[in-house]
Amino acid sequence: MRAHENHDRPDARDTGWHVDDEDLRAYVQGELTAPRLWSVDTHLVACDGCRRALAEVSDPVALDMGWARLDAELDAPRPGRVESLLLWIGVADHTARLLAATPVLRRAWLVAVSAVLLLTVAASSSLRDAASPTLFLALAPLLPLAGVAVSYGPALDPTYEMTVVSPVHGFRLLMIRTVAVLVLALGVNGLATLALPGYGLRALAWLLPALALTATGLALTPRLGPVLAPALVGGAWVGTLAVARATTDEATLLPFTPAGQVITAAVAVLAAVLLYHVRDRFDLTARARFGAADGVL
Amino acid sequence: MFPTVSASGLTLRYGGTPALDDVSLRLEEGVTGLLGPNGAGKTTLLRVLATAVPADRGVFTVLGHDPGTAAGRQNLRRELGYLPQTPGFHPDFTAFAFVDYVAILKEMTDRSARHREVSRVLQAVGLSDVRGKRIKRLSGGMRQRVALAAALVGDPGFLVLDEPTVGLDPQQRMRFRELVAEAGEGRTVLLSTHQTEDVAMLCRRVIVMSSGRIRFDGTPAELTARAAGRVWSSAERDPGARAGWRTGLGSFRNVGDPPEGAELLEPTLEDGYLFTLDGEPVREAAA
Repeated sequence: MRAHENHDRPDARDTGWHVDDEDLRAYVQGELTAPRLWSVDTHLVACDGCRRALAEVSDPVALDMGWARLDAELDAPRPGRVESLLLWIGVADHTARLLAATPVLRRAWLVAVSAVLLLTVAASSSLRDAASPTLFLALAPLLPLAGVAVSYGPALDPTYEMTVVSPVHGFRLLMIRTVAVLVLALGVNGLATLALPGYGLRALAWLLPALALTATGLALTPRLGPVLAPALVGGAWVGTLAVARATTDEATLLPFTPAGQVITAAVAVLAAVLLYHVRDRFDLTARARFGAADGVL
Repeated sequence: MFPTVSASGLTLRYGGTPALDDVSLRLEEGVTGLLGPNGAGKTTLLRVLATAVPADRGVFTVLGHDPGTAAGRQNLRRELGYLPQTPGFHPDFTAFAFVDYVAILKEMTDRSARHREVSRVLQAVGLSDVRGKRIKRLSGGMRQRVALAAALVGDPGFLVLDEPTVGLDPQQRMRFRELVAEAGEGRTVLLSTHQTEDVAMLCRRVIVMSSGRIRFDGTPAELTARAAGRVWSSAERDPGARAGWRTGLGSFRNVGDPPEGAELLEPTLEDGYLFTLDGEPVREAAA
């Protein structure tokens, strides 16, 4: 592409540049790739001169294909806000659409999570004499666990049945969504951590438990289902903290001590290995989803 | 003709309830109707053939692909179009974005080619004009057409449609039947329905299921012929009939073994279906 120097392609709606012949040839042959392809698509809609130039560099069959491609692009409505944001940060368009269909990325969920975290931070901050922000550290790992749980599975994904019979590997889809949710949830948690500067690195002791809980919840999902698995893992986490509180007078509970962090890291690694081992089982629907109780035999 | 689908001994139980009981069938090109009452096992059969749930026992192939292996299952899914009984949508997506999403799930990652295909199927189901509308703003009939477009994207060789005409008004049902008839040209379509009119108008072959078993497998004409000489009219409900219902004229239409001197009526596909449900299996499906 080049700046508007080609005066033999005048156009009433001057866009400030024109597509050069090489790109036009690549366009008609279907060899132009995004994002340049998108720019050319958009420009051809506006520039009569470039459309005429396109006809000159094309053979008729290739030209028809080019017009068909342009028609299809014109048919495509503009992506939504989440999707536009993902495209803007460089996510491939097909991955962006898969992520836009992830329930957890919806605004309401994000707002709810943020509200819970703000309340927690406020509560922890109010305990100015506490040696450890225990409430925050206990709650923060549960958020990514819950987020991943609601991003995949029949209960909250309205298109689950269509998704599970698609050729896209279920585990790949799960990982795409999990990474997106983790980035989001860990980001929110990270921002909340910044609100607790007085605790230094101790305020980051939620990170490894968050990874361990999420990986364990996912690894158990094929066996226990997408609701029971994270619920049990979350319950086990709360139980562990309750036991730790009951058995020590220390301000910092065991999972948030250096020794506890090592154990948590080991759990995260083991769960990740188990998750990889059961990856093919995400390609099949949980039988319970379509049980006789549905009355749809 | 080489069968698109070949299944043998499919069995699946939910707890103690048999949803599929030793089902064997072969499907070829064209539209095959699957009739049966609630709980007959129709949806379970469709879900098994669509690889949504695995059977406890039995084997099947679709276009030569064996879903028993990960590679076979993936290849089968590449040839599959599936419209579930209650298709779910992302309501904030536009019709175009939703079908585009399903196309991505079908591994179409090239943006231009994918958008061309999405435009094609939306045009095929008559939704080009509302492609930019959010799904939550579309009528029930339009949503059903969006789901059909999603099933058709990628030009699948095997199309599974689970009660696609439920909830549609008569006009929408007619339009949908036209679309299914077009979709059945050059591919194999398995259509589950409660509506005998769907079968009469669309299907060259019909399978009747009850209690997880196949009770009939043949042409609609053969199913109708089963009730020949078994349908009669009476002023009051005949207690000896297998099934009977009041017609719009006030008299009763009965199916079963007619009493002597009964006024026999010309059977319909519905009569043949009702007669078959209460009778013994006519013949097992071809293995």
